[in-house]
Amino acid sequence: MAEKLDKKKKVKVITKEKVDLQRLIAAPTGLSVVGQPLDRTDALLKVSGKLSFGADYSEEGFLHGKILRSLFPHALIKSINVEKTRQIPGVAAVLTAKDVPGRNGFGAIIPDQPVICGDKVRFVGDAVALVAAESEKIAQEALERIVVDYEPLPAVFDPIEALKDDAPKIHEKGNLLSYNKLRKGDIEKGFAAADVILERTYKVPFLEHAYLEPDVIMAIPQSDGTILVEGPMQAPFTVRRNVSAVLGIPINKVRARQIPMGGGFGGKEDSPIDVGCRAAVLAHHTGRPVRLALEREEVTLQTSKRHPMVMKVKIGAKKDGTLVAFEGIIYDEQGAYASLGPVIPPAGGSHIHSMIMMPGPYEIPNVKVDAYLCYTNHPYGGAMRGFGAPQVHIAHEQAMDELAEVLGLSPTDIRRRNAFKQGSITATGQVLDQSVGLLDTLDSCAKAFDWDRKYRETGYIDRERTKRRGVGIGMGWYRTSIGTSGDACGANVYVHEDGSVLVFTGITEMGQGAFTVLPQICAEELGVRLEDVRLVQPDTDIVPESGPTVGSRSTTLMGNAIVLAARQVKEAILEMASEMLGVPIERLESKDRKIYDRGHPDQSIEFSQAAAKCMAKGKRLIGQGWWVPPPASLDPETGQGNPYFVYTYSTHMAEVVVDVETGEIEITDYVAAFDIGKAINPRAVEGQIEGGVAMGIGYALMEEVVLKEGYIQNMNLRNYLIPTSLDIPDIKPIILEVENKYGPYGAKGIGEMPNIPATPAILNAIANACGGRVRSLPADPETVYWAIQEKGGGLKKHENSF
Amino acid sequence: MSTVKISFKLNGRDMSVEVLPNTLLVDLLRDILGLKGTKVGCREGECGVCAVLLDGEAVNSCILPAAKVGGKSVVTIEGLVKEDGQLHPIQQAFISEGAVQCGFCTPGMIMNAKALLDKNPEPSDGEIRQGISGVLCRCTGYQKIVQAIKAASQAGNRE
Amino acid sequence: MSYAFKDFHWTRHIPIKDYFLPKTLPEALDILTEYQGRALVVAGGTDVIPQLRRRELDAEALVDITHLPDMKSIEENGERIVLGGLVTHASIASSPLVRKKAKLFADGAGCLGSPQIRNVATVAGNLVSGQPAADTSTPLLALDASVTIASKDGERVVPLTKFFLDTGKTILDCRREILTRIEFNALKEHHGCCYLRLSQRKALALPILVCGVLVKVDKKRRVIEEAAIALGPVAPIPFRATRVEEKLRGSPVSKETIEAVGAIAMEESNPRDSLLRGSSLYRKEMAKVFVKRGLQKALAQCGFPVT
Repeated sequence: MAEKLDKKKKVKVITKEKVDLQRLIAAPTGLSVVGQPLDRTDALLKVSGKLSFGADYSEEGFLHGKILRSLFPHALIKSINVEKTRQIPGVAAVLTAKDVPGRNGFGAIIPDQPVICGDKVRFVGDAVALVAAESEKIAQEALERIVVDYEPLPAVFDPIEALKDDAPKIHEKGNLLSYNKLRKGDIEKGFAAADVILERTYKVPFLEHAYLEPDVIMAIPQSDGTILVEGPMQAPFTVRRNVSAVLGIPINKVRARQIPMGGGFGGKEDSPIDVGCRAAVLAHHTGRPVRLALEREEVTLQTSKRHPMVMKVKIGAKKDGTLVAFEGIIYDEQGAYASLGPVIPPAGGSHIHSMIMMPGPYEIPNVKVDAYLCYTNHPYGGAMRGFGAPQVHIAHEQAMDELAEVLGLSPTDIRRRNAFKQGSITATGQVLDQSVGLLDTLDSCAKAFDWDRKYRETGYIDRERTKRRGVGIGMGWYRTSIGTSGDACGANVYVHEDGSVLVFTGITEMGQGAFTVLPQICAEELGVRLEDVRLVQPDTDIVPESGPTVGSRSTTLMGNAIVLAARQVKEAILEMASEMLGVPIERLESKDRKIYDRGHPDQSIEFSQAAAKCMAKGKRLIGQGWWVPPPASLDPETGQGNPYFVYTYSTHMAEVVVDVETGEIEITDYVAAFDIGKAINPRAVEGQIEGGVAMGIGYALMEEVVLKEGYIQNMNLRNYLIPTSLDIPDIKPIILEVENKYGPYGAKGIGEMPNIPATPAILNAIANACGGRVRSLPADPETVYWAIQEKGGGLKKHENSF
Repeated sequence: MSTVKISFKLNGRDMSVEVLPNTLLVDLLRDILGLKGTKVGCREGECGVCAVLLDGEAVNSCILPAAKVGGKSVVTIEGLVKEDGQLHPIQQAFISEGAVQCGFCTPGMIMNAKALLDKNPEPSDGEIRQGISGVLCRCTGYQKIVQAIKAASQAGNRE
Repeated sequence: MSYAFKDFHWTRHIPIKDYFLPKTLPEALDILTEYQGRALVVAGGTDVIPQLRRRELDAEALVDITHLPDMKSIEENGERIVLGGLVTHASIASSPLVRKKAKLFADGAGCLGSPQIRNVATVAGNLVSGQPAADTSTPLLALDASVTIASKDGERVVPLTKFFLDTGKTILDCRREILTRIEFNALKEHHGCCYLRLSQRKALALPILVCGVLVKVDKKRRVIEEAAIALGPVAPIPFRATRVEEKLRGSPVSKETIEAVGAIAMEESNPRDSLLRGSSLYRKEMAKVFVKRGLQKALAQCGFPVT
């Protein structure tokens, strides 16, 4: 006979918000779901073509929405004539600025972008009218008939020019959107103590996300007066907030629903706000469902990009390579609208993130950074994988190599000397007190890559002396979290009487594996199998506020919230199991659908039996988790504080062969090592690594939004080049786990880390191979060719010939 | 309004449609026949997510006039699963090797892989990369896709 | 620089009202005549369809010639190889005959676009596009190709050197004429050839430079007997670098010869600056590099490596 449990003696599972963070990591016994390379839960649907993306939804009953765009990068709208267009049969609505019912402005941070421009346009891509019609053909014809009279204004296309007093003003408040500074130590004393000082300037262009699925949003007015806005979106709560303001209706009357996404990479953090607000306005006006889909060219023309930058670096070191001073100036080109650039206190927004990351993952006692975020009449920068960190890594990683060369040190030696370790202090004065695996990544990468030998064996590889081999390293770090004071996350877990589970949190599945990884965490926590857990398609009516799927925060923040929610339910289930088995709760283990006495494993019941009994007895099978990270801080005057609570670290090494006669590059070997705390699903992590490296390679060698006087020259994928299968080598990923005490099972983020060090690793390898240093990207054959001719000049092709 | 009559084989079954002359194959498949597995990415034949098989050869359906398939055989991603629900070895390999991330390029990739393996049952890694060079993927870096196609070729892929 | 509506607004559909699939050449020509320039010939469509969608081309009807008979063969005819006007790039790239007797053409055809494009795009269509960067133009120029053009007025045969007029423009009017046959030299064992291509990525990329080289060496005297060098896009049309060829004929197989012709190639090239494909100066330099490299490879291939 089993003993009845003495209720007074039972041990409670911790469920309060102020949890002992140590308990968030590894379960007492071995893991059975977390850490396994399980098949993705949605893979079957995807390989059979059965998963519905936005464009696959039926168009029946929908009006087709289209946008009339500006023909000029900066112009006044003198007049707009839509009367004739409204009369075309099949046209349901033609809207101009005065038809916007609420706030005629949207934006992820500052609503400075007009839904429909009324008085002026600020970039080629600004909307001047919206049309909804019965068919796409009629909508297009209607667009063509609208007559707009523009008065072109002088425009500015360069952030440094934009800061001049006589530059044309793009917004009322002027062209400087944000000026931020970082001051640590004494910069002058620092440089005075340096044996060597290196000064360089690096330049990077606009990049396009080039997700394969073009944007599409459906706005459907509901019979109860609410409006449903659905489509691929990384930030449903931000979409909801903006649509609410634009329509002038309360937030609780707008429902934003995420659907599976064909790639996001940060672009679908704000493009759905743009497309969604416009679709919503058309739907609101007509009272009918509206589908607004962008053609590929329109995605490039209209949506956000990666910020271009001009970065000036001045770096001082001792003879032995110890860094003593770092001074950086960033001219960050925001483009026409604010999007995700400006500061969300204390450390949110891409611009301040760039400033914080500028000096790199190195201990430097004296740091000064001045960062200027400037409007121009160009398309605008938003969030793109890395959010301002990739650009500055291109600067500091190349600067480190250039410095090493001057000092006669190897690229690995100089980094080893300065790289962050446990206890290091960052440029913002943050003490890195846990989970700092940077040097581990350097060691394991160097070993797998065989760095020492390859570094010695660079040089010509052919008798004709046309091809030279070189190697390069890129080291990096990236935050987990977005650094805002509101960065918190909710999740709900419901267990059902048959042991199946529903999870609710605002995560987007955009291919990173979230719909597999988060259920894995929940399954492990509860003691069931992955296939028992379903993550509900996120919908702002259904899931708790959880923030956007960005900033590599999802596994950690949403994972933690899920852990807390799961533990709340688990408490009830284990209490019931304890009763059913007559075993004290502290002896119970829940694993693989069975709850058993750790001491006598054959004494067990099914998880579902305990759940069913709970249900029968009215016990709560609903868990709610709310996780708040350690508070972010950053002093606006000094840039000192703890902006992000944990970082992921990485080292990449690349071997390239440069054709020194043509400038063509071939990548012949690539190793990338990551400290990610804990790999919840190692195969998914590998996928992120391999895909991220490919993106970083694209940035290095071929990607650039080419602009001429404000007009994009390469709007389709024919001329905006991303790597094909023949351009990417075999990549060897290495996963290291230096436990993060703030992450579920010790995990940190992985989404953005992989592409960041890849770009400088390639650029450094090119320079090592042929002496040609490319400081203005991309390093396409012509640019590399001129860099070889200049041997250090690195002139960009356009600058050379125009 | 004039129309064109097209009789062709679709996933093994005879089909007869009458469509507007400017209909492109991808729109015939998706909008008229309801087969949404084939995707649209660029409408220029530059990204390959729209790839289907036409008489066994991979083609970009977004720039192929529907009228061209008259008298020919078209196979789409939906045609790969057997009647009893069993997956084609390439589909199975994509799942088990982790070659699927966002899934948008997946149908186009799998169709190109099938065209490759039907002609060249034991391709080298280089030949695999050549075979899928016409489909862009922004998520995977192609690595696990190449591994999946290799695995499928080893598992025997003749279907 | 002025822009119009169509430069910033795109649509899904192509504005075609009729699509014809004639079964014979006379039928095709009749339809073209009836439409008086408002109908366009289409074969694979990989150029035409996107251009129609972007409104770069205007047409009421398409005359799809892919069902015309006797245009898909690849045959040897004495010293020449004859292609039908519907032969695709994929067929050429994999044809044992072309790979053996006109390798540079097989290589060129195999570089175009992607596997899916090569499966439907015809060589004739590539020539008719009139792009100096076209992958089939330079090899065929080097192989002394000629094309047969059919129209209501009959047939004419034109050497490829007279075919190209300007970027995007050839002597063929694709609203009235159809390219039915392509003929070019079959190479012999003693020929060496090479096709080289420079582009910004390794597939789905328009080239920055293409170069087709053909040589024949007089074994006894170690002197170049025959040479054909074709280049693009370093001028509005793809062309034979005749001054380079003149210099080569009779010159010894040596480093000095190659250096000398490299310089001449550079002079013969006159590209424009392109925002997307590169500066004029770079492409001139590359013309030099590629002609030299192409020669070295072609000479090595026929047993006369330059050391």
